[in-house]
Amino acid sequence: MLVVRPAVSTDLPALERLAADAVPQLTNLPAHRDRLEERIARSRQAFAAEVAFPGDEHYTFVLEDPERGEAVGTATIRAQAGARDAYYTYRQETLIHASQQLNVRREVQTLALSHEVSEASLLCAYSLEPRYRGTSAESLLRRARLMFIAQYPERFAGILAMAFPGFLDGAGESPFWNSVGRHFFMRDYQEINALAGIRSKSFIAEVMPQFPLYLPLLTPQARAAIGREHPDHEVALAEMLAEGFLRSRHVDIFDAGPVIKAERERLQSFRRAAWHPVRIRPAHALPDAEPAMVANQRLGDFCCVVARYALSPTGQLMLSPEHAERLGVEEGRAVLAAPLALPGMGEGGVEERDPGYDEGEL
Amino acid sequence: MRIRPIAESDLGELQALSRETGVGFTSLPDNREFLAAKIAAAVSAFEERVPADRRNYFFVLEDETSGHLAGCCAIEGEVGRETPFYHYRVGTLAHSSVQLDLHRTIDSLFLCSDHTGDAEVASLFLRPEYRGGDRHHERNGALLSMMRWLFMAEFRDRFPDKVLAEMRGVFDEQGRSPFWHCLGSHFFPLDFSDADRLTGLGQKSFIGELMPKYPIYTPFLSEEARDCIGRVHEQTRPALAMLKKEGLRWEGYIDIFDGGPTVEAYIDDVRSVRLSRRCRAEIDPTASGEADSRPRWLAATTGMAEFRAAWVGRGPDDAGVIRLSPDEATRLEVATGADLRILDTEEEG
Repeated sequence: MLVVRPAVSTDLPALERLAADAVPQLTNLPAHRDRLEERIARSRQAFAAEVAFPGDEHYTFVLEDPERGEAVGTATIRAQAGARDAYYTYRQETLIHASQQLNVRREVQTLALSHEVSEASLLCAYSLEPRYRGTSAESLLRRARLMFIAQYPERFAGILAMAFPGFLDGAGESPFWNSVGRHFFMRDYQEINALAGIRSKSFIAEVMPQFPLYLPLLTPQARAAIGREHPDHEVALAEMLAEGFLRSRHVDIFDAGPVIKAERERLQSFRRAAWHPVRIRPAHALPDAEPAMVANQRLGDFCCVVARYALSPTGQLMLSPEHAERLGVEEGRAVLAAPLALPGMGEGGVEERDPGYDEGEL
Repeated sequence: MRIRPIAESDLGELQALSRETGVGFTSLPDNREFLAAKIAAAVSAFEERVPADRRNYFFVLEDETSGHLAGCCAIEGEVGRETPFYHYRVGTLAHSSVQLDLHRTIDSLFLCSDHTGDAEVASLFLRPEYRGGDRHHERNGALLSMMRWLFMAEFRDRFPDKVLAEMRGVFDEQGRSPFWHCLGSHFFPLDFSDADRLTGLGQKSFIGELMPKYPIYTPFLSEEARDCIGRVHEQTRPALAMLKKEGLRWEGYIDIFDGGPTVEAYIDDVRSVRLSRRCRAEIDPTASGEADSRPRWLAATTGMAEFRAAWVGRGPDDAGVIRLSPDEATRLEVATGADLRILDTEEEG
């Protein structure tokens, strides 16, 4: 039984391993012991603090495999993407250049530095051991954060955002970086990404070009990479789009990976989440039912597992003693449950669907 | 050979001349109506029937023996007053970070109209058969270029503080502008010559409508395009050298189409404006008809509508009297006692 819970200091070695193994290496999860130690301490503080509105709290979770007795995945929520400093993105914009005299109308695409996503809560720093990929644990780790936000809405912004790692070519090079950032930094992508993780990303952003970039002046390879996710993150992106996130006009300033956004009330897991009193039944006596994410009602001892969504006729959620114990709930206590399956996501993974497009009003 | 203001009767000759100018010479399109209007505007400028900031003084170099036009040149009173006048200013942006041990400067192109209100020397063209070599045609190009400084010195109050000259940019063997290819072509659904032609016709509003308004970071341009920034066409080098000798300098402004440099100076600082001076003409039948050495002294008359300029065979004496041969006097249409503005083009300035 895999569980998602807040990270604790003993998770440090596991976090180091997960940071080092992330594909691609994540800016916001640097494989750097001191930084990871700080990350855990900061997260402990956030879980312990009384918070009335989102600030610079970072909540870091781990996915624990009790059979191995260690964390096998991690994910973070930043209550505000840019709380102390700005969160920089490039916003794709369209300018109309029209001349009546020449009877022409031309659309010119630009990328403009933006701080617009700074206010949103950011789901980030996701890394999972490869062997758990494609299992329900992958979705659990990704979306348990939504179950947490649903319980403590005052700690988070009304808009959630997620940035996906951008496209890298076969050689691990970012065509976008090579056409844009490299001119300004004279360093390759991996190097600057590592630096950005250890320092802050925003002070690097301050060296980025401050004026909008005209897309026609970028290389075709760079243009093709704009808003395109890393191949290893296609399924994750599809899942979050099925959740109700929308592609936005924003992309990462380094690799042009897509930034998706959602009003949290529109997400499937929020809309379908429901409180149920617990009824404990032996595992063998539980009826067959679709899988659900089930979370307890605790802050520092937050815990979320995948269990069957087996409801009694009177609306109680039937849990095995093992699940109940892991969640720390007794019979009669309430838990929050939401179906694990998402509309539009088939068994095989991604289904073709129109992900929609956030036209900027979010 | 002499300089005089263009006249309505020059239309046919001017059109013939316009056909000889090539790509990159925007101000003389082969368009009879346009040229007729240009002449009419020039005539009213010389007659001072329009305000000083709306005048385009258009001069011709006349072969007075045959009556043919050998070339032309112009002075625009103040640019950008009727239609917008655009440049890119090449600016430097520092991108630096102590923490990253990074210090880098990035050149950027800023669209601007900084030169609005400046005078412009422009449209200089000399027919190939009147260039260089032949003794008879020696320094025709210099005559066309330099007489403008005498005109501006003589009518200094009609001109603003600064003057500029736009130099033709770099084109490859196929006549393509690498700068245009890399930048302008993305924003204009025209090829260079069409865009250039419309500009020449004065229909410039499309530039403001279609041109990128945000600065262009030059590292996004191709190497060939970057190499065009502030560089002149090979054939334009002598003209640039002449202007530089007058004290005009490149201050980082370039043409938005071909990247060619715009050079500029304060009019009062221009060498020939400073050094030219008023003298009194005296016709001397003993003065030789033609200078027998390389032309050195430039003479211009002091009337605007009847402005004339030509090389003369000798300089003024200590009393400020310049002796003219009867031929020279005829060419300049002056009699003894007339005022002339004289420039020693070899005087060290």
